[in-house]
Amino acid sequence: MRLERHLAVLRANLRLSFLLAMQYRWEFLLDGAMSLLWTAAAIVPLYLVFEERPRIAGWTYGEALLVMGWFTLLDGLLKGAINPSLVTVIEQIRTGTLDFVLLKPADAQFLVSTARFKPWRLLALGASIAIFVYAFSLLGTGPTWGGVAQALAMLAAGIVVLYSVWILVISVAFRAVRIDNLRYLFEAVFEAGRWPSTVFKGVLSFVFTFVIPLALMTTYPAEALLGTLPWERFAAAWAGALVFAAVARGVWLRSIGSYTSASS
Amino acid sequence: MRTLRTLPALFKVGFVSALAYRAEFLVWMLTSTLPLIMLPLWHAVAEQAPLAGFSQGRFTAYFFTGFIVRQLVGNWASWTINYEVRSGALSQRLLRPIHPIWFYATESLASIPLRSAFAFPAAVIALLVTDTSNLAHDARLWAMVPVAIFGAWAIGFFAHVAIGALSLWMHQSIKVVEIWSAGFFVFSGYLVPIAVFPRWLQSSPHWMPFEYMHGFPIDLITGALSVEQATRSLGAQWCWVGILGLVTVALWDRGLRRYGAFGG
Amino acid sequence: MHERTAGLAASLRSVFRREHKLVKAVDGVTFSIARGERVGFLGPNGAGKTTTLKMLTGLLHPTSGTIDVAGHVPQRREAAFLDQIMLVMGQKQQLIWDLPPADTFELNRAVYRVPRDRYDATVNELTELLELGDLVKKPTRELSLGERMKCELVAALIHQPKVLFLDEPTIGLDVSTQVKVRDFIRSYNERYGATLMLTSHYMDDVAALCPRVIVIDKGRLTFDGSLDELVRNVRPEKRLTLHFRGDVGDDALSPLGQIIERSEGQVVLQVAQSELAAAVSRALATLDVVDLTVEAAPLEEVMSELFTRGRAARAREAGREPDEAE
Repeated sequence: MRLERHLAVLRANLRLSFLLAMQYRWEFLLDGAMSLLWTAAAIVPLYLVFEERPRIAGWTYGEALLVMGWFTLLDGLLKGAINPSLVTVIEQIRTGTLDFVLLKPADAQFLVSTARFKPWRLLALGASIAIFVYAFSLLGTGPTWGGVAQALAMLAAGIVVLYSVWILVISVAFRAVRIDNLRYLFEAVFEAGRWPSTVFKGVLSFVFTFVIPLALMTTYPAEALLGTLPWERFAAAWAGALVFAAVARGVWLRSIGSYTSASS
Repeated sequence: MRTLRTLPALFKVGFVSALAYRAEFLVWMLTSTLPLIMLPLWHAVAEQAPLAGFSQGRFTAYFFTGFIVRQLVGNWASWTINYEVRSGALSQRLLRPIHPIWFYATESLASIPLRSAFAFPAAVIALLVTDTSNLAHDARLWAMVPVAIFGAWAIGFFAHVAIGALSLWMHQSIKVVEIWSAGFFVFSGYLVPIAVFPRWLQSSPHWMPFEYMHGFPIDLITGALSVEQATRSLGAQWCWVGILGLVTVALWDRGLRRYGAFGG
Repeated sequence: MHERTAGLAASLRSVFRREHKLVKAVDGVTFSIARGERVGFLGPNGAGKTTTLKMLTGLLHPTSGTIDVAGHVPQRREAAFLDQIMLVMGQKQQLIWDLPPADTFELNRAVYRVPRDRYDATVNELTELLELGDLVKKPTRELSLGERMKCELVAALIHQPKVLFLDEPTIGLDVSTQVKVRDFIRSYNERYGATLMLTSHYMDDVAALCPRVIVIDKGRLTFDGSLDELVRNVRPEKRLTLHFRGDVGDDALSPLGQIIERSEGQVVLQVAQSELAAAVSRALATLDVVDLTVEAAPLEEVMSELFTRGRAARAREAGREPDEAE
């Protein structure tokens, strides 16, 4: 019964998002096209530097492209499925209409995080597959089935982490609405996920592995595809992702408990 | 004359409002750290040998200088204008006996003290981590720096105000800003120094305005240009300032006539 | 510049050391409402009306005391409870701005699991009662304020709630739309036997809808009873309006009662209930009366007097003159 209700809400929200996308279809299509263009543009620097060096921080051009592929996919998910809802919630917190959401007989976190989608952004999915095909054609091999399975499982962990980070950002917004431009900050930092994590040294390496685990999101799945991701690291990454999710849920419940809407 | 007399007051208003939004300002500044996030990649590339004359230290000097230049010359007038056209606030502005362009210009310039204050730590770090061999040594070059930075600001400002004027015709011109920004990211030397571009692509940025907004002031400060080269680039930069200035004024005059006729 | 620095220092301090102060928005308010009752919830701005509504709907948690709404504790936010209530706020909207209201209705259908046939019947019935027609298929941004409010009501009633909380539902609406919304709310209450709690700044809303009123002021309950009783308590005097012929001086009128309004050939007097009969017969005897009406004082005035009294009483308690209060 509970599950059924939530599935129905998800379906209704997807329908609404699609209707909205159709209303401003040129804007959204342009948006999608721009993001594809960006993906292509982002490969240029990679191409340029590998022209000069066969191997950078232990990665060849083809291997680094795999990281780029996962980044493109997650970036599409972030901007197509996670970000739009976040923008909606922050607007609702600002105007006090979040009260309506909290009065609905369904899990508030679920309602909040499925509120809006940008369907055109899913074009990124196609782009990332194209990058994978191109990368493997350069490498002259293909991934093993085991590698694909491990990479997808790794991707799921990456999505869990990405989503948890966003829930944390919303929880901050409950306390200080003006923090909403934190999301731009995170988007800027997220860009670092384009490169294999071995590029980063010292403090940045620590931050991108443990604090904002970008390595887990893009580099590990790429290594899984290549068959070089050890299972211990895989397990540790999943454990970390679950901890992240639990913390995010805890913080969310606390913030919602102490939430009193903006214009009481 | 009258406009000149009101300028100090406008500057003061701009400065105080920048101060009021200091938290937003800081987050916005941190979002422009993308070039710094690119830096580890370039370091990895230049680990064994310099790339197109760029050693690791030179890359550091380039991207830190770039970060500071960006802080000083950044613009967002087109967003303000789009918002004001849609909300009708522009009509209020038009009631005043000062051309709106002056208002947007003072607002942008008045925030420079605050932005300099934020950029200062970056400059200190840059000086500490690089040696002075990566900076210009000729006093004549340093004399050109303020002019070049002001020119860089002016190009960005006029482009933004011109695009903002387009919103008097279109529903909104934010997408046009995004296209302009895409051109900037690729051809200004923001993500990749132009010197590192492949040879066939190296001369084309010289024919676009973007390089004069970013790459040129950096090259000037980091001593990559001879006095003769710098003078030529400075001339080209101010040609762009002139062209864009004329286009901007023409667009606004036509746009405002239209706005007056249709009431927006 | 001095003020700026002070502001900066203050805001920095508040970042590091958040000061918590317990402000009692509502204190010692006790009441119960029977099923199907329509209750007006009154009080001046900042009295704690919205706070109370939010506690009743489970949006805010009381620090102490108990709340029971339809057999549930609101703050637990149980689905069985939320399925039975609705909240409409005149100042806030849940309709999606860029889509027609019908799409928000659909979303709520999914959220409340309303079966398709019952949903269709409810929407048809409600839109007919509110005379909305095809407006629900136009994007919300193109609707007028009144049309939007009507659609808000439909959106909030799709699951046929049994307890209705309405916070200023008619704010900003023109008079005829106000009347329509009011009639609609009453007919919903009658048809579904729903319980209704309403706050409004328009006393007409309260007079037309609510036989019973609860008044709170500064978070304290100051009155609970019928509207008539409230008026009798606060302003037992009646309004006597006389239209007469001829030139009559104030000295001839003042013995009848206290003069409130005076114009050519007309006077409005305030007369105590007990002296009303005497005053009327005396007026008829001494003046050439054309027309005569007796009314209670306007509700707006009754309320403002009640709240002023409350303020004065609090000031006395605090040992100050009323003027110094606030």
